[in-house]
Amino acid sequence: MNWTLGGSITSTPYSTSRLTLLSTPGQLPQTLSSPSTRLLTEPPQTTLWSPSMVCGMTTPPTSPGNVPPELSHPYSKVFGTTGGKGTPLGTPATSPPPAPLCHSDDYVHISLPQATATPPKREERTDSARPCLHRQHHLPNDRGLEELSGSKGSVTLSDLPEFLGDLASDEDSIEKDKEEAAISKELSEITTADAEPVVPRGGFDSPFYRDSLPGSQRKSHSASGTQGTNVNSEPLNSSLDKLGSDTPKQAFTPIDPPCGHADESPADSRERQSSLETNILTPSPCKIPPQRGVGFGSGQPPPYDHLFEVALPKTACQFVSKKTEELLRKAKGNTEEDYVPSTSPMEVLDRLIQQGADAHTKELNKLSLPSKSVDWTHFGGSPPSDEIHTLRNQLLLLHNQLLYERFKRQQHALRNRRLLRKVIKAAALEEHNAAMKDQLKLQEKDIQIWKVSLQKEQARYSQLQEQRDTVVTQLHSQIRQLQHDREEFYNQSQELQTKLEDCRNMIAELRIELKKANNKVCHTELLLSQVSQKLSNSESVQQQMEFLNRQLLVLGEVNELYLEQLQNKHADTTKEVEMMKTAYRKELEKNRSHVLQQSQRLDTSQKRILELESHLAKKDHLLLEQKKYLEDVKVQARGQLQAAESRYEAQKRITQVFELEILDLYGRLEKDGLLKKLEEEKTEAAEAAEERLDCCNDGCSDAGIGHNEEASGHNGETKIPRPSSTRGSSGSRGGGGSSSSSSELSTPEKPPSQRASPFSSRWETTIGEPSTSIPMTVGSLPSSKSFLGMKARELFRNKSESQCDEDGMTISSLSETLKTELGKDSGVEAKTPLNLDGPCSSTPNPDSVGQLRIMDYNETHHEHS
Amino acid sequence: MTEDSQRNFRSVYYEKVGFRGVEEKKSLEILLKDDRLGILPPHHESHALVMMYRKDQYSDIFHALKVIRFISDTTPQVEIYLRMYQLELGKLPRSPSFPLEPEDEVFLAIAKAMEEMVEDNVDCYWIIRSFVNQLKNKYRDSLPQLPKAFEHYLNLEDSRLLNHLKTCSAVSKLPYDLWFKMCFAGCLPESSLQRVWDKVVSGSCKILVFVAVEILLTFKMKVMALNNAEKITKFLENIPQDSSDAIVSKAIDLWHKHCGTPVH
Repeated sequence: MNWTLGGSITSTPYSTSRLTLLSTPGQLPQTLSSPSTRLLTEPPQTTLWSPSMVCGMTTPPTSPGNVPPELSHPYSKVFGTTGGKGTPLGTPATSPPPAPLCHSDDYVHISLPQATATPPKREERTDSARPCLHRQHHLPNDRGLEELSGSKGSVTLSDLPEFLGDLASDEDSIEKDKEEAAISKELSEITTADAEPVVPRGGFDSPFYRDSLPGSQRKSHSASGTQGTNVNSEPLNSSLDKLGSDTPKQAFTPIDPPCGHADESPADSRERQSSLETNILTPSPCKIPPQRGVGFGSGQPPPYDHLFEVALPKTACQFVSKKTEELLRKAKGNTEEDYVPSTSPMEVLDRLIQQGADAHTKELNKLSLPSKSVDWTHFGGSPPSDEIHTLRNQLLLLHNQLLYERFKRQQHALRNRRLLRKVIKAAALEEHNAAMKDQLKLQEKDIQIWKVSLQKEQARYSQLQEQRDTVVTQLHSQIRQLQHDREEFYNQSQELQTKLEDCRNMIAELRIELKKANNKVCHTELLLSQVSQKLSNSESVQQQMEFLNRQLLVLGEVNELYLEQLQNKHADTTKEVEMMKTAYRKELEKNRSHVLQQSQRLDTSQKRILELESHLAKKDHLLLEQKKYLEDVKVQARGQLQAAESRYEAQKRITQVFELEILDLYGRLEKDGLLKKLEEEKTEAAEAAEERLDCCNDGCSDAGIGHNEEASGHNGETKIPRPSSTRGSSGSRGGGGSSSSSSELSTPEKPPSQRASPFSSRWETTIGEPSTSIPMTVGSLPSSKSFLGMKARELFRNKSESQCDEDGMTISSLSETLKTELGKDSGVEAKTPLNLDGPCSSTPNPDSVGQLRIMDYNETHHEHS
Repeated sequence: MTEDSQRNFRSVYYEKVGFRGVEEKKSLEILLKDDRLGILPPHHESHALVMMYRKDQYSDIFHALKVIRFISDTTPQVEIYLRMYQLELGKLPRSPSFPLEPEDEVFLAIAKAMEEMVEDNVDCYWIIRSFVNQLKNKYRDSLPQLPKAFEHYLNLEDSRLLNHLKTCSAVSKLPYDLWFKMCFAGCLPESSLQRVWDKVVSGSCKILVFVAVEILLTFKMKVMALNNAEKITKFLENIPQDSSDAIVSKAIDLWHKHCGTPVH
């Protein structure tokens, strides 16, 4: 709609600074920044520059709706400063561009038809700065609403995009998704289905067409919806005509922009209504029926609406239902006259069909067929079929053309947008470049200034360096001088130091010499004092010498006098005296040596004495020990002896008791008066007893007793040499009777003797002798006959070492002979007493003998020592 | 000092605390070493031999007594000891049924007490024999003096009690035979009697006097309560045995007090 303006615009250099972005004032939202409005106030050729115009694009690109808030501000800032034209924002009411667009017919002749369509659009835009796409969607929607308001109840296909958009908006629900999927599927089918009829017609660039389809299905659909309205009003040739007439300056767009048509179409239709009435007769699709413009405004459904149901049964159903609901709501809210709120889809369909049929009939009526004049109805039938066929073909052709145009428009729009974006970017970059260039210039200026200053500075620097060099050289020379001076001073100081050291050495030497001299002085003083002393001494000595000399002289004189006297008196005695002296001396020496010898002897003898004394002490000690030992042994022996004695006493008592018992028994026997019988048998009993002694071992007891009796006799002899201390009781024993002695010696034989006592008593009783004679008989029994008795005697002989060897010899021989005899009879009996005999008799006796011997030895030793 | 060193160094503390038995044991050991009864000679070498003699003697006498049918298997051991002792002294009566003499009674009492102390029969016989011999020989002169000494010490300790006894004319009727001849055999339990007899064996028969004094002092209240001489005598002959240890300990204290520290 701004083509006239856009075409007049040429790209001016200063317009770059102004920028931009704004495509067409018609689509410019009122919230846009001031520059654009201001531009509009200026002469149109200068002000109304836009990239689209530059490019020759007529389409109102979708971008302006999106871009302004993003791009306008940065640029406005930049150019507000650079341009320096800080005019305030012009109010939209005062701003001319929207006004002419909307209301004034001065600019364009198209304004009239536009007036019907634009107001709602602008309202929408003012309400919400929606993106272009949405606007495009809404465009038909609004129109649809208008249509709805007009047609009331009939749902047109133009409402479909909105419906679809609504469906798309509710992406949350899965059902809708599914539905949408189905719908899209259908749509895709439709598009392909639509494409198919196009192909045979040819003229379309099919691959291009197909490529664009999947990307913008919905758009295409919506476009189709929108185009649907313009189908009839936009024939190809008419557009070309229009281009030629309306847009002479436009060098671009061989194809009509589809969007532009939306706005333009009414105008065209109006034109057609006015100018192209004549062309109606041609069957070309570009012919638009005059009702069309009115129908458009009143919301007449597009002619191909009937196809809708066939093509999209599902979507149609949904769409219809949705629409009916909306209508119902509206009817309720507005309380306007309702068109059957409860219209069923079937009815709607019917109506649609009906309307389609009506439209078709109208179209048919409008057709400028050659046979129009012919009233077909008059013939009572429908118009000829071929005519219908042609019409349908035309319809299809138109439809296809429309699709093609729409597609081209979309492509152009896309390209337009792309180019616009590029242009915008390029403009921005150019602006940027310009700014950069300015900056560059400034910087270059700066650089030049800097260079100049640099040169100055360099010059100054060189000057300063020269000065510095000179100063440095001066300083170096000074340093050298100073160093030289220093060295000289150093040398001088060294020389002085050496001198100083020399002086010090000198002083030290002098001091040493001084000390030496002092020493010498002291030494000499000492020597002097010594010499003086010596001098005094020597003086005194001299005096003494003089004195002694005088004495010597006097004594010499006296000596001479005495010598003279001596010579005169004793001349011969000197020799004798000398002889005597020598003799005495010799004698003295002899005596001395003798004395020495004597003393040595004395020493040795004393040592000897000491040794002997120690020996003596040792001996004494030994003696004491021996005594102690002796005492010990004595005590021990005494203890043992006491024990033995007590035992002996006990034995004595026992025997006494036995005797008493025996006597008692005898006494009883006598009292019984059995003596007579016994006397008669006495002799026989004696013989029997002798026999019994031989064969029975009972006799051994008698033999033992008898032997003991004999032994006691021997005892008296053997005991004599023994010391009296041990034999204290021997005397009493001798007097005490034979039994006591027998008891002592035959202690080991006691068991047999005890055993024997009853036998003996029996034997006595059998013998019948008086009790008093028992000891005698017992003692007089031949001891040699019994084995035990012989043994005891043998032992006794051994112990006592008696002189009765002869008896012993005989007895031993006898005993040996008897041993063989008795061994057989009393083997068992004889062995046991033998065993008892051996240890018991032997143990005490050797001990006692040994003790005695020890005692003797000790005593003798003691005496000897 | 050597004796002191031999003594237990803790004895002082023990005595402070009140233990007196510690020293007794020591003295007992010394006593046993010495063997004052003379059963065994001081020489250890001859112990075996002498002991054998003793055993033989014992068995001989025992056998002789059995032979003459003075004792049988059923004869009590104490009587056997008595008969053996009599036999050894030559005082065996003609018949075992003869009535016993007072000194035999004493022997029996001592033997009975000693039997409890010593296990082995031979040892027991020998200890009894020696003990009785000691009483007979060593203390022959001192034993009759004991009643007088008893009166003397009782007078020192508690004159009132003595006066009470005198008023009751019980002084002469006190069980002197039980005390001084039997040496408390049958009067005190063996455990405490042992301690008394140790002293007696080791040569001090005066301890008997102090034991008697201590008995009277211990049961002073009871004795004072009794007025009859016979009752007193009867009570003293059967004193309760539970406090015998304390009596002996106190008696030993008294002994130490009046006769100085014992010299072992």
